[in-house]
Parts: sequence; structure tokens; C-alpha cells
Amino acid sequence: MDTKEISGEIVRVENVRKIYHDNGVPVDALRGINLTVSPGDFSVIAGPSGSGKTTLLNIVGTLDKPTEGKVFLDGEDVSSKSRRELADIRLRKIGFVFQAYNLNPVLSALENVEFTMMLRGIDAGERKRRGLVLLEELGIGELANKRPNEMSGGQQQRVAIARAISNDPRLVLADEPTANLDSETAVKLLELMEKLNHQDGITFVFSSHDPQVIERAHRLLILRDGQIVNDKVNK
Amino acid sequence: MIGRIAWRNILRNKRRSLILVVSVMIGVIAMILTDAFSVGMMQQMLTNQIGADAGYIQIHKKGYQLDPVLKNSITDTVPVSRVLAKDSSSCNISERLRTFGLVSSAYNSAGVSIVGIVPEEETNVTTIHNHIVEGSYLSNKPGDILISTATAEKLRVGLGDKVVIMASRLDGSIGSEACRVTGIFETFDSGFNQTHVYIPLETAQQMLDAPGRVSEFVVNPVDAKKTDPIAVRLESELPSELEVLTYKQMLPILVMQIQLYDQTIYIFYAIIAIALIFGIINTMLMAVMERTHEFGIDMAVGMSNRRIFRMILTEAFYLGIAGTALGLIVSAAVYIPLSHSGWNLAMFSESLNSLGVGTTIYPVLGVSSLVNTTVIIPVVAVIGAVYPALRAVKLQPVEAIRAS
Repeated sequence: MDTKEISGEIVRVENVRKIYHDNGVPVDALRGINLTVSPGDFSVIAGPSGSGKTTLLNIVGTLDKPTEGKVFLDGEDVSSKSRRELADIRLRKIGFVFQAYNLNPVLSALENVEFTMMLRGIDAGERKRRGLVLLEELGIGELANKRPNEMSGGQQQRVAIARAISNDPRLVLADEPTANLDSETAVKLLELMEKLNHQDGITFVFSSHDPQVIERAHRLLILRDGQIVNDKVNK
Repeated sequence: MIGRIAWRNILRNKRRSLILVVSVMIGVIAMILTDAFSVGMMQQMLTNQIGADAGYIQIHKKGYQLDPVLKNSITDTVPVSRVLAKDSSSCNISERLRTFGLVSSAYNSAGVSIVGIVPEEETNVTTIHNHIVEGSYLSNKPGDILISTATAEKLRVGLGDKVVIMASRLDGSIGSEACRVTGIFETFDSGFNQTHVYIPLETAQQMLDAPGRVSEFVVNPVDAKKTDPIAVRLESELPSELEVLTYKQMLPILVMQIQLYDQTIYIFYAIIAIALIFGIINTMLMAVMERTHEFGIDMAVGMSNRRIFRMILTEAFYLGIAGTALGLIVSAAVYIPLSHSGWNLAMFSESLNSLGVGTTIYPVLGVSSLVNTTVIIPVVAVIGAVYPALRAVKLQPVEAIRAS
């Protein structure tokens, strides 16, 4: 196994390039990205549309593979892992929050949260207990039995966050999590994620160009044309 | 939980699921009822032939089966009667003298098998007395004759009319007898009707100058399942110049046809299964395509390909089970009343009678048919979902998530 022990780093991205082919024409989506994410980070990758934010997040989240370069998660090189191994890594180490919430429409809020725990083999009683606790913590305990289509966008995104953190991941990747929400709901949701970061030490990496997200981030990475043009601590 | 998700996914697109369930249901009904009617038809062919003439066991002089002429008849019936006396409570027994001959009227003549019977004994082994359509069943009165409607039409005779029967005697001379038509019969088998007339045994023996001779003893066990052991025992106890034949040996083509059917039904099952598989592939593929984005999310949150594959197969299995259950219910609703009343197919009477079936078919549902259907259909549903499931697991997570 090609591993590197990198203490204090959850993510290390080394010289990552991603080339797409658009009708046979190669398009450089990412051009030599180097990046590290440390435990407890609350970082945002910002940049205009098409700058490569989502591509970078997908590669860090092992949903996509780099054309060149390496990605280490918890010191483990994930660039050459099989699909089955990557699914297991995502299950154990990564939580995802998507712009469009992406809850399973046939499951209730509680079942959506339980789903990832079920995939980890947690027994039914335990996952129900933990799911209810999580929903209560996120202020949507009373919606446990509601289906996604019976909830507002903000409520669905809270369920999505509960789902993302249900397996105690090392890292939560949130792709434009506030893009579909009104500003008041977005602020509440960001406050919630800040609280999870502060209280529980959950590491968040966002991709967003929402000023409210950028304001709250501890670290701001500006991506432009597939390159990190700025990486600074947000004050 | 996978099962619960699979079930809810089925309920998402109720119309599509319903169409698939209904098509599975139709497949089940087709399999069960086709099998039940085919088995019923063949059993009727067999029981009709056994009931009309053959009986379950016959005792002949050796060689009679191959050359059924008068000289091959049993001359001494005493040893046979002695052996059969032991079975008088468990078997119904009748003796016959049979020969080929001619039946003539003033208008026409017909080649027939002239069967001399003991009328009251014959009622216990065959059903000819149940098929009298005109007049009455044969009595022991010398000179009475029972002919079929087909023969009556051919000879242009009716009840009370005289006909003459003629056949070769043992010495080669022609024996004849003027008989009066006392009854006209019509069985389910048109071929049989055209070729059989019945006269009292004594009349036959007199006409053929064959006193005491019989061509065959018909032995019908009260419990038909005991046919084989009784036949084996009779074979061992009867004089060696006699042979004991069961209906399986007397009606080999029909028995073979039934055995062949047991094999060929699987070809029919295969045709139904293939049609269903394509229906299931189509429906499940549509369901998978529609949920591409969702599978992407499932993959993102760590659902393995194995679980996604299993979930899709589970959905198909549930659809198969639902369709099978409904199919069994509908089949039962059709089968139960028809198994009592039968299905009247009078419009096809000509062809059915030529097969010796009868115009009313009573379906017979075997346990194997039920088991086959209950097992085959859900398995077929799962097989049909394999390709769509493979398509789902081949999706790249990032591309699947992008799908709208």
C-alpha cells in the first residue's frame, strides 16, 4: 500500500491535475493543485463558476480521480484505490452535503440519517437512537418521520448535515450548501455547521461563492482557472 | 433496511410497477392454467381410454396383444377365475370375447371390433353404459346389440332395427348373427365410436363357435394406484401361457405423450420466462435510468456496488413475488370452479372427440406446477434485473451525481 504518515493532516493533495474531454477537446479543470486540510479546519474553496471548485471537492471526496497527482486521506493514498475501497473510505471518513440536499426521497428524515449508519453495519436500535439524537441536536427532531418532500429546503439541508456527520467522519465536504437557501436559512445553517466545528471538532471544507460562507470560513482558498491563486487565513 | 428501501422504490412509480406486476401475473396465470388444462386434457384422454375399453389391467393369452385374433383367445378360463377370485373385493373384473368383423344393414356395412361382454360385469370396469344416448344398455338377451351413433348413421339404422354381424370363426368359416339394436352409445372418442359394437358374451361365443373362450379379462383395481403391484402379483400367479398388461403397456403412445409433456412443459415455461425477462429488463432499466442521480448520491455516501446491485435485485424480486401472488390468486379463482364444472369447449367438439378427450375439460393442477411457478417466476424476475443492476453499478459516482 502506498501510504504516507502525515500527522495532523486529513487531506493532502499533491500536484493534482484534472483534464476533461469536451467533445474530444481537452479541458484543464485543475492545473497542479497542492492543498492540505488539517483537523478542525473550516475552510472554503471559493471562486467563480467553472473555476474547478466542485471538481476539486469531488477529487478530495474520492468521487472522481485526478488525471495526475495524488490525494492522501488520513495519510492513505486514495488515487489508486478500487471502487469498492473508495466506497468504504467515503463511508467511514467522509460526509457529503450537496447543494440540492440530495436526500433519498423514499426515506424519512430519520431513515436518511440511519441509512449511512446502516451501511456501516450499525444495528437498527443503535442507529435509530443516534439518528434521533442527531436530528434533535440539529433542531429538527420533530421532523424525524417526515419525507424530504414534506420539508423545507433548510430542513432538508439539516437532515443532509445529520446524514453527513452520522458516521463520525474525519471530514465533511459541502458543495455549495447554501446555494438553494434564502439568506436567513443559510445563516442559520452556517451557524449550525460552525457549532459542529467548534463543539465536536468536525472538519468542514466548503466549495462556495456565497459571501456568507466565505465570511465565516477560517481559511479561504481562491480558485481560478483550475489553480489556487490565494490561500489565506480568514480574519 | 435495503428491503424497505426496495419496497418504497417500487411504490414510487405505481403505474410502472403495476404494469410489471400485471405482466408477471399474466405469466403466472398462463403457466398455471395452461399446465392445468393440458394435464387435465391428457388425464381425460387416458381415463377415457381406460374407461371406454382398456381398463387398468388386462389378462390375455400370450401373443394376443400382437395378434388379436380368435385363435389367440383364452380357452380355459377356470384357472384365471380361480386366481381372480382372490381379488374379488379389491378389483372389478369382466371378461370379453373380441374379434374383428362386419356389421351390415340393408343400406351399408362397416368394419368393426365386435365385443362380446357380460353386460353387468362390464358396467364395473368401463363406462360404456354411461354413454347411452338412445335406447338402453345391453342386456344378456341373445341377439341384442349396442352400436354407436356413428355406426347407426353409417348403417342408417335406429333403435329396434336389425343388423347382421359377421366374423371368421376358428375353423375359418364365417359366423353371423342377426341382432336388434337395443341401444346407441356415444363416447368422447369418435375413433372408438366408429369401430366398436357390443353384444352379449354368449351370443359372441355362439356366433364364433368358441364356447367358453374369452379374449381378455379386464381387471380394474378399486384403488387405481395399486394397478402395478396387482399386475405383478397376477403375473406370478397366473399360468405361464397368459400375459398381464397394464394400461401403460396397452396405451403406450398416450402414456409416452404424458411423459413427454412433463418434459416439454419446461419449454413452455422457458418461453414465458424469456418474455417476462425482457419485460423486466425494460422496466427495471427505466427505473435505474431515472434514478441515476440517486445512485450517484448512494455511492457518494458510501453505498457499495454490491449493495446497490442487491437493492435492484430485491426490487425485482418483490415485483416478482407480488405478481406471482396475484397470479396464484387469480389462477385459483379460475381453477377452483372450473375443476368442478369443467370448461365446456363444445365449439371444438370434433377435434376434441378425435383426441378422445370430451368437450368439457377439467383442469388438473399438480403440486409440481404450483411449485415450479412459485419458484421460477421470482427467480426470472431477479434474472431480468441483473442487466439493469449491472448498468447501475457501472455508473461513475461523479457522473451519476451530475445526471438530472
